[in-house]
Amino acid sequence: MTATTQHNRWVPYAFLAPFLVILVIFIAYPLYHSVVLSMKQTFGPSRSAFVGLENFRFLASDPLFWKALKNTTYFAAGSVLIQLPVSLGLALLLNRPDVRGRAVFRLIFFSPSLVGLVFVAMMFSLIFEKNTGLVNVLLHDMSPAFDPEFPWLQQYVMPTLVIAALWIYGGFNMIYFLAALQNVDKQLIEAAMVDGANAWQRFLHVTIPAIRPIATFIVLLSLIGSFQLFDLPYVLLSGAGPDNQGLTVVMYLFQMGWDQQDLGLASAIGWSLAMLLGIFALIYRWLSRASED
Amino acid sequence: MERRRLADLLFFTGFSPGAWVVVTAAVLSTATILIWRVPQHEGLEMWTFYRVHAQMYQGVTQTWNTDPANGKPVNVFLLDGTAMRQRLMSGFLSDTPVADLIEAERNMACLAFSGPIEDVGFVDLTDRLKEEGIYDRINTPSFSPWTSRGRIFGLPHDVHPVALAYRADIVEEAGIDVNEIETWEDFVRVMKPLVKDMDGDGKPDRYPLNLWYSAIGHIEVLILQAGGGFFDDDLQPIIDSEINARVIATCVSWMVGPDRIAIDAQPFTASGNFLRIEGRVVCELMADWMAGAWKVDMPGLSGKLKLMPLPAWEKGGRRTGVMGGTMLGIAKASEDFEDAWTFAKHLYLDPKLAEQLYKSNSIISPVREFWDLPIYDEPDPYFSNQASGRIFVNMAPDVPPRTSSPFSNLAFARVQEGVIALYHYAEQNKIYDVESLMPEARRQLKIAEAHVRELMDRNVFLKEEQP
Repeated sequence: MTATTQHNRWVPYAFLAPFLVILVIFIAYPLYHSVVLSMKQTFGPSRSAFVGLENFRFLASDPLFWKALKNTTYFAAGSVLIQLPVSLGLALLLNRPDVRGRAVFRLIFFSPSLVGLVFVAMMFSLIFEKNTGLVNVLLHDMSPAFDPEFPWLQQYVMPTLVIAALWIYGGFNMIYFLAALQNVDKQLIEAAMVDGANAWQRFLHVTIPAIRPIATFIVLLSLIGSFQLFDLPYVLLSGAGPDNQGLTVVMYLFQMGWDQQDLGLASAIGWSLAMLLGIFALIYRWLSRASED
Repeated sequence: MERRRLADLLFFTGFSPGAWVVVTAAVLSTATILIWRVPQHEGLEMWTFYRVHAQMYQGVTQTWNTDPANGKPVNVFLLDGTAMRQRLMSGFLSDTPVADLIEAERNMACLAFSGPIEDVGFVDLTDRLKEEGIYDRINTPSFSPWTSRGRIFGLPHDVHPVALAYRADIVEEAGIDVNEIETWEDFVRVMKPLVKDMDGDGKPDRYPLNLWYSAIGHIEVLILQAGGGFFDDDLQPIIDSEINARVIATCVSWMVGPDRIAIDAQPFTASGNFLRIEGRVVCELMADWMAGAWKVDMPGLSGKLKLMPLPAWEKGGRRTGVMGGTMLGIAKASEDFEDAWTFAKHLYLDPKLAEQLYKSNSIISPVREFWDLPIYDEPDPYFSNQASGRIFVNMAPDVPPRTSSPFSNLAFARVQEGVIALYHYAEQNKIYDVESLMPEARRQLKIAEAHVRELMDRNVFLKEEQP
């Protein structure tokens, strides 16, 4: 073996080394450490006591964790079942060549996602205020029977969050769908038209299969994003809101980690969420494959 | 030769113009960060979360820093409350830099008490306070929020007694004599006629009292006033008690049903202040610090308000409550405890600064000997020329004590859930009288206490300390 070939053998590893070092330091070790941490009770990073699976046992019987999970699932369902169909509908509409001013509408629908979440949350907190909020004042003016004290932010927290998220992300997801729709083979659509397929049949049998990979990606992304919901309710409700109606899993993690200083329990919450998302992803993948088959 | 080609590829032909822009920006920003000198302040650092305090302290420190005999100069920094809470806990738990002097609010400070007593990041001031006679000079209940397991970790900034502020223009126009009010029962009877439909839509929109389940702080004021509380002196939860249940049942009876007298005007929000200015809120629980904030936020109410003692829960009962609180603590990490302590005493125990505190914030001093200061007797135009300072001072000795459990925030949240559940129970079952609400109130508080207890029992660090 010559010196040059020996030298070349190490070259790939040398190129890989920065990535591997970063992977170990910033991903692998923190992951390992968080697993260990989830089996400890802590008071900040300096004090800890090994408690085995006690954190997970506590979570299983903790009504607040289940409430957070229920709220988060509600939001995720709202995102997937309301937000994405709306985004797809907008994309279909703005993909039509006969719609005038398409570019302007695309910009208008996309523009909310250019605004920071904190700003959006503050804006919606004013819009949904009792007595003085835009929604209640408008509805009360239109129908005096409508109660201006209608407590959106006290008793209808999750629907309010779904509406706020729809406003922010509806246009954002629309762009993904629009990109997918523009890649649908026009010849297939024309062929379907020649075969006598109506608009709905063309959408169902040509468009949907064509955009399925992007749609799968968007659904998965929305699900993961929804389960990581934190900043929107945190600012909108200045915390979890009355009766913890806006408590999400990540917010509960934050409360336990920061307010109670129990990083062990917070870590257990994080791993529970990760496992849950893993299960969702597997189920979704299985369902997608089944429908493709 | 090969090396040269590689260099060419990497640095010239390999980069697109866009990549060059990114690389240039990266190099410039890195260089800027490396070159930029963070201004270093010589001397002590003090954090506060309240803008008005910071403004007041700037002047104080300027004078203080001119005299070399005062030791190291002091630099005051204003931090957002949430940011300060995070930096405080990071400092205490992870040894990140923290100020020498920290002015902490009640909910912030009690976070520091969640672990073993030796891990509390504030210096234990108990012995100093007693040896130097400061403990005896200050209103005793004012120490309670800063005391954990018998040790005091902060110098009290205030007393924060609570009075009842009312819209004198509305009340007097209706011919109501507030002297008839001694108890909350009297209050409901006398003020009930002020419920009014102001916009003619058939529904009342003016109510006598601002109190809602979303403001658990107000309900806590009433619980403490009634002699209830969430923790006993040994920091064991006592949430499920007859007194607490009666207070929350009464509060809910005010919020719902045909005899409703309460409205939801959230504090320090545009919508809440709009309702106040519009006169849709007649009465408000008013701590001294709130009076100061109202003067800034709602100057238009000047001359329309008056103060009176809180109605008691029974005849001859306590006519005040307590709301909020701030302390000045010294971080254990401070390298200059003596200088910090000297400045802390100057800031909180100087009569001139007590006067300034009242002038700029309407906050009365917790130092008893200052209660004779003439400034407290001056007529206050905001409160229709009443001597508002004297009204608060007269209430000060009677403010209820509080405990400072690390689980206080948790208890607030759980009790609030109980109040909300009780509100829905009353609404759904159309049960509006206190006695009928009592069994459900007890049930809700029992659930709240069980949850707090469960979390407390999990805390192995606090358990280790129990004998």
